[in-house]
Amino acid sequence: MAAKPSTTTTAKATYSPIDPTRKTRPPIFSGSDVDWLRPDSRGFHQCRPAFFRTGAVNSASGSAYAEFGNTKVIVSVFGPRESKKAMMYSNIGRLNCNVSYTTFATPVRGQGSDHKDFSSMLHKALEGAIILETFPKTTVDVFALVLESGGSDLPVVISCASVALADAGIMMYDLVASVSVSCLGKNLLIDPVLEEESYQDGSLMIACMPSRYEVTQLTVTGEWSTPHFNEAMQFCLDASAKLGKIMRSCLKEAASDEQE
Amino acid sequence: MVGLSEGEQEFIKGGIAQDLRSDGRKRYTYRPIYVETGVIPQANGSARVRMGSTDVIASVKAELGRPSAMQPDKGKVAIFVDCSPTAEPTFEGRGGEELSAELSSALQHCLLGGKSGAGAGIDLSSLVVVEGKVCWDLYIDGLVISSDGNLLDALGAAIKAALSNTGIPSVHVAAEAASDEQPEVDISDEEFLQFDTSGVPVITTLTKVGKHYIVDATLEEESQMSSAVSISINRQGHICGMIKRGGVGLDPSVILDMISVANFVSRQLMDKLDSEIAAADADEDES
Repeated sequence: MAAKPSTTTTAKATYSPIDPTRKTRPPIFSGSDVDWLRPDSRGFHQCRPAFFRTGAVNSASGSAYAEFGNTKVIVSVFGPRESKKAMMYSNIGRLNCNVSYTTFATPVRGQGSDHKDFSSMLHKALEGAIILETFPKTTVDVFALVLESGGSDLPVVISCASVALADAGIMMYDLVASVSVSCLGKNLLIDPVLEEESYQDGSLMIACMPSRYEVTQLTVTGEWSTPHFNEAMQFCLDASAKLGKIMRSCLKEAASDEQE
Repeated sequence: MVGLSEGEQEFIKGGIAQDLRSDGRKRYTYRPIYVETGVIPQANGSARVRMGSTDVIASVKAELGRPSAMQPDKGKVAIFVDCSPTAEPTFEGRGGEELSAELSSALQHCLLGGKSGAGAGIDLSSLVVVEGKVCWDLYIDGLVISSDGNLLDALGAAIKAALSNTGIPSVHVAAEAASDEQPEVDISDEEFLQFDTSGVPVITTLTKVGKHYIVDATLEEESQMSSAVSISINRQGHICGMIKRGGVGLDPSVILDMISVANFVSRQLMDKLDSEIAAADADEDES
């Protein structure tokens, strides 16, 4: 007699997409007692591990790839190139920045077009750091592409762009490291993820040059009392200093790899 | 604006260092501000603000729409700024687009608060009609007619005045409506809801020239700036938004100093604006 086939067949693990009907109402933080467990079980004052790699794009003058948790960004720098003939002569260089999102970067397709102002923010963050007088009559183009948006996108773009500029050999006063802080109720969360950003009551993004201790770009939304703002700014500056060291060590590694 | 000669540039910088600007003002003095409300009868609310030669108009239009799925209990507000070529010939066509985008984004940061709605100048939950189905969409449009510096402050003041002048029509909802159908709404022509604008913050732009900051810079003074920070502060003295407008890097202690200066200056500006708005509303009621 043939053995009966087992009636319990193990179902093959199949891919099940995220349940689209799951819509959680945002929690309302009325008291100061907030039990917010961060999705990746970090502490409130802990940043995500940062990964930088230069030389991601071979055809560019300089390029860098950065990965902070789920946020993945690639930046390429072209230049200094001759400015378009239509532009007026200028005895300092020009910086042209563009930030774009891939259509698959966000959970909902095509949502990246909400961030049109990132290009001008990137420009403002970098223009204080680049020594424009070293390349008159020419333009440096910085193109950033966000491959996956996992929260805290603009700070990652700014940090990656300054690593790419260093890789391209553009003269700068200092590297620009950028960190953002989210305020949920009374808690300050550094380096927020996408979920935390959607519930935030306020946010503070700082781009600074750690060695010179100067802020090149600063954006605040939401309501902050001055001492609260002070505290948040100090967090950001400390975190940027640490991020600056990581960026520097990545560049040194790349340079020493080349020498070997 | 014609270019400035070396001598004129030194004159401006030197004057600011000595607390005596080209038009005789001190560093923290605003130009005389004139506010008129109700200038556009077709809009739900409007205002025109003049600060010296800077002239801007803000209009508020309210239309019924659907709330977003993420926030079903809140209305929506959108702020757009248009720089008209009457202000500068370079604004024609796409020339003014960059400035308009920068101003719109700065105003959205300063007036709309965090993603969860906290700290917003406008209480979005007061705009909802039927939760999840019908809400008011406010479209706030700013128009720059004449530009002589300090556009962001003027636009912020105009939007505050326009909101105080805005009347949202009352809406009656048909009682029996199936849960997945759009309920019928009847917009009344008679009753209006007014906004309470005491919570709307005021935007102060501090321009750094050399070692000192000035408030309400003219176009010439802005051309000499090293950097500028725009801070929006509400009545309680809390920061509702802040954005650095490019230029060189600033030391964090300088930023904290700017915040305390902005606190001091915005108090005066807010009182001035509130009295001007009240006067303008009184004039409008009489006429």
